[in-house]
Amino acid sequence: MEWDIASLEDLEHYIWRCTACGTCKVAYDFGPPSTCAPICPAGTEFGFEGNMSSKGKIAFARGILDGTLEFDEELLDDMYRCTICGGCQNQCQLDHKPFIPEIMEAMRRKAVEAGKGPLPLHKNLTQSLKDYNNPYQGPRRLRTDWARPFKKAKKPIKNIMKEPAEALFYVGCTGAFNQQARAIPTATASLFQKLGLDFGILGDNEVCCGSTAMRVGDAEEFKRLATHNLELFKKLHDEQGVNTIITSCAGCYRAIKKDYILSQDYDQMMDGIRVVHTAQYLHELMQKGELPITGELKTKITYHDPCHIGRHLNKFEVDTEGSELWPGAYLGMSEEDCIYEEPRELLAAIPGVEFMEMERNRSNSYCCGGGGGVMTGFGEWAAKNASLRVEEGMGTGAEVMASTCPFCNFNLGSGAQRIQSPMKIMDVVELLDQVITEQE
Amino acid sequence: MDTATAKKVDPVLLQLQGIVGEKNASDAKHIRYAYSYDLSFVEPKLPDYVVMVQNVEQVQEVLKFANQEKIPVIPYTAGTNIGGLCIPERGGILMDLKQMNKIIDIDVADGVAVIEPGVSHAQLAAELTKLGLRFGWPVGPPSASVSSCAISHGIGGLNARYGLQSQEITSMEVVLPTGELVRVGSCAIQKNAWHSTLPLPKLDGLFKGWLGSSGVVTKMGVNVHPAPPLLKIFTVSCETVEEMYSYMFNLSNYEICDDITAVSWWLSQVPIPYPYTPKPDDAAEWNSYATTFSWTEAERDARAEIWEKVVAEEKAKGSSIEITHYPEEALKGRTQLPSQVVGSTKNYCKQGGAGISWPGTFTPAKKWAPVYTRWREILIGHNLSPSVRMSMYRGVHYGMLRAMIPFNKQSKEETENARQAIVECLRVDLDEGGIPYKPPVDFAKEINLRADQGYLMLLKRVKNMLDPNDIMNPGKLGI
Repeated sequence: MEWDIASLEDLEHYIWRCTACGTCKVAYDFGPPSTCAPICPAGTEFGFEGNMSSKGKIAFARGILDGTLEFDEELLDDMYRCTICGGCQNQCQLDHKPFIPEIMEAMRRKAVEAGKGPLPLHKNLTQSLKDYNNPYQGPRRLRTDWARPFKKAKKPIKNIMKEPAEALFYVGCTGAFNQQARAIPTATASLFQKLGLDFGILGDNEVCCGSTAMRVGDAEEFKRLATHNLELFKKLHDEQGVNTIITSCAGCYRAIKKDYILSQDYDQMMDGIRVVHTAQYLHELMQKGELPITGELKTKITYHDPCHIGRHLNKFEVDTEGSELWPGAYLGMSEEDCIYEEPRELLAAIPGVEFMEMERNRSNSYCCGGGGGVMTGFGEWAAKNASLRVEEGMGTGAEVMASTCPFCNFNLGSGAQRIQSPMKIMDVVELLDQVITEQE
Repeated sequence: MDTATAKKVDPVLLQLQGIVGEKNASDAKHIRYAYSYDLSFVEPKLPDYVVMVQNVEQVQEVLKFANQEKIPVIPYTAGTNIGGLCIPERGGILMDLKQMNKIIDIDVADGVAVIEPGVSHAQLAAELTKLGLRFGWPVGPPSASVSSCAISHGIGGLNARYGLQSQEITSMEVVLPTGELVRVGSCAIQKNAWHSTLPLPKLDGLFKGWLGSSGVVTKMGVNVHPAPPLLKIFTVSCETVEEMYSYMFNLSNYEICDDITAVSWWLSQVPIPYPYTPKPDDAAEWNSYATTFSWTEAERDARAEIWEKVVAEEKAKGSSIEITHYPEEALKGRTQLPSQVVGSTKNYCKQGGAGISWPGTFTPAKKWAPVYTRWREILIGHNLSPSVRMSMYRGVHYGMLRAMIPFNKQSKEETENARQAIVECLRVDLDEGGIPYKPPVDFAKEINLRADQGYLMLLKRVKNMLDPNDIMNPGKLGI
């Protein structure tokens, strides 16, 4: 399978479109009322201009390209001290805006190709991908541990490799292997069963989506996993009748929607298959009147937008040929693919829920701090950053911080624990599972 | 790490880490590299160290150490000036002040905000909004520093009413290059009084317009003003710079506007055309907006009546002036701190590609037309757009005359072409009595070439008195 993954050199033109104006450093809107808040986790923690937003990372990229900077230990550390959250990208208005996360990852890819990157802790992760097809060194047989209670309760989940189903529930490695995050696939499957959906899982045949490899710059490992998955998805569509892939993992969703399209065969492999996040899927059911919420939750809830199903899904319009402005001009952006409203509307539909919005929300959501390989490479900082987000949530008076990403869920949980916050970190599906009862 | 591979630790770095903490001082090349350039044509140069100070005591300790060791210190907040002011001329310690970003007080009764150097315009805007107060927002990025803009004689959206940002300064706390902490203005007499630099000797002048070469401002009082609710913006266009000057001069006499600004056709395009593109024949060469805020509708209508009278008077002189109409949202943007919606300097240069510099000057208004005419020739001759702005300052008839010149920074040739054009423009303006603000070293040298010897002697003497070892942002004054 052929892939169009840009090198740092391919992006040089865009790297030179950054003026170093620093607009990327804060989430700001004049309003009225004016709002202003830090948007860059690395800038917040480390503070040097090089650590700060895209301005800093572009400086690194320029220095690498002009030969001033070499991949030494300190540079590598700072290159990987970035959650690739896209918060800075959301502020920028210059021609390189659509390519900002790409530039950061292309730098990492160059380091990997040079045999210098990723960081040692990331190498454990990518080695685990090679050895176990997941980043957690989890033996294949453990991938379905979360599903055992269903079997025990005589409500087994279909193995889609053996039985046809309309929908594949693509669980993702974090949901499958992370003890805390296992609650998410459990609640998702429980909810799907209550709703009578025809779905199945890959069980121990599921392999990682490759997102973590891509984020830390290991393009080869990403391609291996993504190629496997694309071929598998096509097979499931052709042979098992799968038309929909549902995932409750924001990282997997982003990978399939935005990274897999870099394959030249994407359209052919995914023809007839729709990929949706659980929040979207449930929201559609709600709109059709097929989400019967019967219970209530008397609680105050805030919602944390995961970067991967939020601003990472922005669609950019670029004047590639220069027919409107000039070659490579950034023309505009659409948020139509970003999943901002669906989770909020699902939460608001639960009787008794009082929804509390944090100041930094939707496109200006403050990253939990776990993405881009940071949770693996800099666990302590990731949790510290998550504490900041939890504190922001506590400031709203919320008792529960809901999200739609197992990765955020785990990291925010660590952040809450770190500051001994009473904030409960839950996924939207966990909350819905509590208020929806089995259909007759 | 074993001792054989351990990096030799620089004693200067060790000393700096002892002052600001290990993680806040670095000599890593990539960290220094990110401070080596800005938007301007100024050649990139690396500092030797970067320190991120957290409080006044650390600023003092770093300066005492640097002064003792005769190491240059470059103060830095956001690096968003377009004059290379924070690019080190002789290496040294770059002192990043952005984390000293507390708004210490907003005294509504006194109309004064007391801020640290890292406070950004975005941060101040958010707090002032809550209190129904306003400040003159510049067109710089939201992350730019309020105090750096003010001490560098930056401009803002209330210049026609209150003057330059530096005229809004009410008091300052400053660390001298030798490390002593001093205060100027009312806070020097009573530590919690930040209301005025007068009637004391105006020692604040020792730290304004010195391009960070006379000390580090660690606290600043600035005037903030009540925000009237009703906005009216007067917009006109005309064919020639002479006609536009005549209109602005006339309107400014009535002192009814917060901002009176005109832009050439090329600057009214966002982004500025790069390279030069002729304007369409049917487009006016000049457009102006003048902002007014009023408390009542009657007040607003009275202002509009005066404006209409001015336009009628100009027409009677044979001017091509016409009233123009724009959408409300576009007009409102002229009164706001730039954001994603409004855009700013960054957008001006996006077609050029990363670079922007200016001949930015304070020039007598009566000289605007002859200077612009020459600038137009020079810039078009260099295939650059004559994207010029003229703004009146506080009721007096001088103001800002500047050309925003974008260029492709990836190309050395195009960068040099812009630099040459800009310096050429600057010489024209200086010879007409204009003076550049936030000047790169190239400009400072041109100023000094024309300067009175007594002025230069005094400048050197004051600088030497404050900074005997010439450690503060050395080289920037061109002396």
